[in-house]
Amino acid sequence: MAKFFPKGQIMGFVFSLILTVIAMLVYFTDMSFTTGMVILLVTAFIQAGLQFIVFMHAGETNDKWAIYSNIVYGIGLVVLTVLGSLLILLWDM
Amino acid sequence: MGKVNNNVPLEYSTEENNLKIFGFWTFLGAEIMLFGTLFASYFVLSGRTGDGPTAAEIFEIGPVLAETFILLTSSFTIGLAIHAMRLGSKKATLSFMGVTLLLGAAFISVEIYEFVHYVHVGAGITTSAFTSALLTTLGTHGLHVTFGLFWGIFIMIQIAKRGLNSVTAGKTFVFSLYWHFLDVVWIFIFSFIYLKGMM
Repeated sequence: MAKFFPKGQIMGFVFSLILTVIAMLVYFTDMSFTTGMVILLVTAFIQAGLQFIVFMHAGETNDKWAIYSNIVYGIGLVVLTVLGSLLILLWDM
Repeated sequence: MGKVNNNVPLEYSTEENNLKIFGFWTFLGAEIMLFGTLFASYFVLSGRTGDGPTAAEIFEIGPVLAETFILLTSSFTIGLAIHAMRLGSKKATLSFMGVTLLLGAAFISVEIYEFVHYVHVGAGITTSAFTSALLTTLGTHGLHVTFGLFWGIFIMIQIAKRGLNSVTAGKTFVFSLYWHFLDVVWIFIFSFIYLKGMM
């Protein structure tokens, strides 16, 4: 049975649970909006990286640089879209 | 199908499989953008509640945490399915996929409960700009999970009938990428829609 539960994936799962619990602190403890957002940004992006690398095996083939640039490009566009929308439509700059 | 390379896991053993897996990563790049635009709309509109309720008034931490831990666990079990597939165990692959899909069904059940709750407390899709953006974003993710349930069932049937070969292994691997990706999207929904809204 043990061979079906590789250590790396179990560690990845435990780590993702820990990150979720840290994110939950934002709700269960009193903290400023800024501190909360910083915590959420850090935990969410580490979690995403964990999924891509540990569980989705993004780096295991020769295509890895194409895969990474594709993901980074996608995330870059999203950051631009989200921040751009907020700047123009919400923060009135 | 071209040459078969026996030195790599089954899902990478043919050129066709490699191209399909790479192609699916490209599709996921487009999916990142799809959810990115939904998030952009949500962040802009989340304060426009009109006469309707605010985020803090309708979100319930219980179901949200249930959904989060269910989906995280299912992402772990589909990872174990791929590991079992690489060990060549058809039975373990099918078992882990089965658990994954059951967790997916549990997730959808909680989400349906949540949507009923929203409508019940007067937050329908036409109530305000906030509820429209919220339900569209959550609904798009939920539809993806629902689609994944059916997709996964059909792949399980194929594995059960034809066994693990380069074709079924390639499909299973692509499905695992899709399922993990839905968990990634959920992490952002959990953090920046729910937790931010209840902070």
